[in-house]
Amino acid sequence: MVSILETTPTEQPRWHLPGDINIWVFVLADLFSFAFYFVVFMVYRIEHGSVFLDSQRHLNLTTGALNTLVLLASSRFVALAVQTARTGDYRRATRLVSLGGLCGILFTLIKSYEWFREIADGFTLPRNEFFMFYFSITGVHLFHVLIGLLVLALILRELREPSLRRASMVEAGAIYWHMVDLVWIVIFALLYLAR
Amino acid sequence: MRRIPAEARIDCVWILLSGLTVVAWGLAKVHGEHRLTPSGPETVAVLAIASVKSRLIIRQYMEVRTAPTCLRRATDAWLVVVMVTIAVMYAYA
Repeated sequence: MVSILETTPTEQPRWHLPGDINIWVFVLADLFSFAFYFVVFMVYRIEHGSVFLDSQRHLNLTTGALNTLVLLASSRFVALAVQTARTGDYRRATRLVSLGGLCGILFTLIKSYEWFREIADGFTLPRNEFFMFYFSITGVHLFHVLIGLLVLALILRELREPSLRRASMVEAGAIYWHMVDLVWIVIFALLYLAR
Repeated sequence: MRRIPAEARIDCVWILLSGLTVVAWGLAKVHGEHRLTPSGPETVAVLAIASVKSRLIIRQYMEVRTAPTCLRRATDAWLVVVMVTIAVMYAYA
């Protein structure tokens, strides 16, 4: 088991693999899975261009942008937590991971509200091809957010228990959380913004 | 060359990411929110902004900038494949 204390900020290795190889294999596989969804979305967009453009008008741009800002703030807190944990300040790292998790919960609440509004206005999954993709892609992403929240809870447990503290575990959890943010940035551009 | 402290770099990246999000939102809000026809320049701008934001997250927050070359290339490959494919398919549509 590698302690966080073994990775000091003064060490300057030529390169460093954050987390471990397993998390990167998982993250890259997940990223290419999402890339496949995006390509299928574009195939349908080519076939049903006018339906997609008309349907996009009914999404709330401001809610989507707000959720993007919330996820970016959560990524900032988690990135700061990794740096802070490396210095050995576990109390601050715990606080920062908690703030990152709270932002994740806020994202979930805003997304639920957005879905509720869309469904209340009659824009349900079977309405047309665009809303089928909208609910599917954002649903798969929301599932990843929920897994990410569990991962952040595991990091909190590790940071609070001295015998469990591992640099690679904190880094791996952070990488997963940033991947959730990364995928949302493409979803926001593709579903909400691109015309 | 003077090194930027890690926390300051994270904060600078966050400000940049948030600023780009607001710019992309403003662009879509002003020019495209209710449009029924495709807009090539706006979509190119949106995809370019999303590409910059994605690479900032990969390099700075996921710390790929200090990772082995194969990981840097794999993540860049993902970003190029996704964004170029979307742009080409958009142009085809």
